[in-house]
Amino acid sequence: MILMLSNAFPVLFHWLILCLLSPFFLGVIAKVKAFFSGKVGPSVFQPYFDLAKLFRKKCVYSHTITWIFRVAPAVVLAVMLVFSLLVPFGRFTAPVQFSGDILLAVYLLALGRFFMILAALDTGSSFEGMGASREAFFSCLSELALFMNFITLALLAKSLSLSQMIGSGFSLSFEGFDPALFLVIASFFIVLLAENCRIPVDDPETHLELTMIHEVMILDHSGVDLAYMLYAAAMKLFIFSGILVSLIIPVRTGHPVTDTAIFLCGILGLAVFVGIVESSMARLRLNRVRLLLLISFALAFFGLIVSLWRA
Amino acid sequence: MEKLLRTPWFVPLGEFSFRLDPLGLVFLAAITILALCAGVYGFGYMRPYQGKKSLGMHAFFYLIFVLDLVLITTANNAILFLGAWEIMTISTFFLIIFNDEKSAVRKAGFIYLIASHCATFFLFLMFFLMAHAAGSMSFDVMAQTGFSPAFAGVVFLLALAGFGVKAGCLPMHIWLPHAHPAAPSHVSAILSGVAIKMGIYGICRVLWIVKVLPDWCGYVLLVIGVTSGLMGVLYALGQHELKKLLAYHSIENIGIIALGLGVGLVGRSHQVPFLAVLGFGGGLLHVLNHSLFKGLLFLGAGSVIQKTHSGEMDHLGGLAKTLPVTSAFFLVGAISICGLPLFNGFISEFIIYFGLFQGLFGLPVSGVIFCSLGILSLALMGALALACFSKVYGTVFLGKPRVDLKESSRGSGAQKGICGEETSKWMLVPMMILTGLCAWIGLVPQTVTGLVFRGGAYLTHVDFSTLQLEQVLMPLTLVVLIAFLFLLIVLCLIFIRRLLLGGAPMPIRETWSCGFSQVSARFQYTSASFARTIVELMRHALFFRRQGGQITGSFPGETRVASSVHDASEEMIFGPGLAFLNNLSKRLNRNRMRHTQLYLMYILLFLVFLLIWKLK
Repeated sequence: MILMLSNAFPVLFHWLILCLLSPFFLGVIAKVKAFFSGKVGPSVFQPYFDLAKLFRKKCVYSHTITWIFRVAPAVVLAVMLVFSLLVPFGRFTAPVQFSGDILLAVYLLALGRFFMILAALDTGSSFEGMGASREAFFSCLSELALFMNFITLALLAKSLSLSQMIGSGFSLSFEGFDPALFLVIASFFIVLLAENCRIPVDDPETHLELTMIHEVMILDHSGVDLAYMLYAAAMKLFIFSGILVSLIIPVRTGHPVTDTAIFLCGILGLAVFVGIVESSMARLRLNRVRLLLLISFALAFFGLIVSLWRA
Repeated sequence: MEKLLRTPWFVPLGEFSFRLDPLGLVFLAAITILALCAGVYGFGYMRPYQGKKSLGMHAFFYLIFVLDLVLITTANNAILFLGAWEIMTISTFFLIIFNDEKSAVRKAGFIYLIASHCATFFLFLMFFLMAHAAGSMSFDVMAQTGFSPAFAGVVFLLALAGFGVKAGCLPMHIWLPHAHPAAPSHVSAILSGVAIKMGIYGICRVLWIVKVLPDWCGYVLLVIGVTSGLMGVLYALGQHELKKLLAYHSIENIGIIALGLGVGLVGRSHQVPFLAVLGFGGGLLHVLNHSLFKGLLFLGAGSVIQKTHSGEMDHLGGLAKTLPVTSAFFLVGAISICGLPLFNGFISEFIIYFGLFQGLFGLPVSGVIFCSLGILSLALMGALALACFSKVYGTVFLGKPRVDLKESSRGSGAQKGICGEETSKWMLVPMMILTGLCAWIGLVPQTVTGLVFRGGAYLTHVDFSTLQLEQVLMPLTLVVLIAFLFLLIVLCLIFIRRLLLGGAPMPIRETWSCGFSQVSARFQYTSASFARTIVELMRHALFFRRQGGQITGSFPGETRVASSVHDASEEMIFGPGLAFLNNLSKRLNRNRMRHTQLYLMYILLFLVFLLIWKLK
């Protein structure tokens, strides 16, 4: 619809924001969790140090692996870089927007997931197989919820482009406190937790291999490969938070600095909130996770009913 | 727009009349590409049978079959079409029962033959009804006739029943999961790639002939697509046998195609031509795409089976090391069938999604509900297909071999020297061509969109040039640009990784298994355990059976576990239904009078009755 691939500058700027800021919010979540458990905790810049350390390290490979294991981290990171181009970061509109970009976004994420699952299975380890199987299962449900949200948003925004759905033109729906939007926000928050493997779906902190999904899938990655994977995870959290924040705070003052500040404060607030959620509840039992995801689906479904009702 | 050729034929009501139109072209493209690739592959695949079986017969039926497919897609006369249809059924039967020394193969062949012939009954009925109303057996005459809505509805239902069996729509798909694994792999490829598409072609042709259909028809087609797609992929997840799994995936993809056609039909009956062209065009593109990637997957599965003599996924593993090229091709097929970007599956699903989302804006509330249903089920199908193909690829090609390949093939394969090396060029080149085409359509879809959207416009009965297709073509262009950008980034990242790692070889160690060392290959996740969580969630929809696996006592001994997913329509509809018919006919048989004269008298009485009825 709106072609904005005019020059490389916005693209590079988008990536700069993404690469520079995304690990910070992981640090914030960890800090909040440390605060709630009465500790000082590592610095908020710890994820940067971890990544820097990993980028300097060499990799160790298993002798069962094939080229898929080596390519997967690059694919996963590339998916996040491309995905970020479709998402507006507050004041900075998405460099690429067209009708139907949500489909590309969801399927790109799926491509990354496919390679991650294959890399996990490539090691031949039963633990990683377990994580891969869970990832495949939960992603079915979270993708369903995600699409349900997109249908509602598409109906509300009368557009198929992510930027139109969550962008500035859409803020009007908040007048009169449109219940559909609140349902979508609640549903999308659950999707965010599930897709980014946060508590209550998955615990990124424990290193008990049996309990995890994302962490266990990257058990055999090391060095630069692991850095790619972790960086991609941080970016994914940042992008998903960005979408949610744009939905919640569609405020446009017109002043670039204020807008950017509002956006970043929004993400910061969301990171603190995720930290609070993680500190205040335990990870769900694995067979309860699907219920959580179905709740997310149901919320979005009610959102659709409400929006159809108005239409 | 269309080319016609007519010559007289001695058959009553028949005419050698052929038509070449945008609808048939899409199918012809699929037929010619796949028939050629599968045929060449057959040279390599059938080599071990040389001198043991009559390959000439096989080749004969293969050629007849291919010729016949062309005949079906170009026929312009109902009699010619039905004749070609029957020849296709019979030649397919002989292709399926190539390994006729196995009873399972013979059984699969007969199930196919019976199912096809039952379906043909509906086709005869449908074509004769239409011919009666139109006064001609010719398709173009029929197409100019206006049918009443009720009549059109009946014709539509008959078409669904008749062509749905061939296409493998749920719940009439039961022949398909038997026949595909039984046939030699290149035959499975062409069966799944184009033969079942003839059912879709038939439905399309009827949609073209009957210009005005009642509103509910589109929704029926959409719902059939949704059920076939979802149940197909769920059944596939529960399978342990590679080719059977692929067969169920054909049902899923037929569902996606039917979903696309359903959207098109809904758009056509609500007079939204743009929506109709998107739906029909997406469906037709998926016909072409499915024939490419499913052909590729079946050929890849054939190579695996030829190497290992086993299609049982839980016995395989680590084949990416023994068959590096085949495994790379298979990966492309898997990515395509999951509808992931870069390859062709994404393009057709994108168009269908696009149509469904357009339906949200352009249709009344009932249409919005059905379109939402379509979007959600397409999303779920995509996610489940991803789970299924990560399971297939992960168990068959990755990890470690679960059973020692050399050990298992020593009996039959060792003397042919087909162990531990890549398959022959005869088998690799066709796969390479199909892989290339999958990537081609995925990266340069503009080359085929004209073909399929012309087909879509032809089915919608609108002029192609009046359509505003930029709305969908521009996003497609951008999708492709992004795909290239993505590839570029991947290459850059790999390059950066290489820079960071330097040239020194990396240490190679054992897979980390949480402190255990010397883990046996049988510790790996199997295909059954990978799919278990999903299959158990859906156990109410599937017939999931699990036996054993209970550990008793403090020092448990050996234990076994068996799990399987059964086909509900086979066990609930056709099994009991056919048993009932069987019983009924046995009972009739008991009361039968055992004198030929009596039968002759019945025939005479019937003839007299006919005479009186006609002379009345």
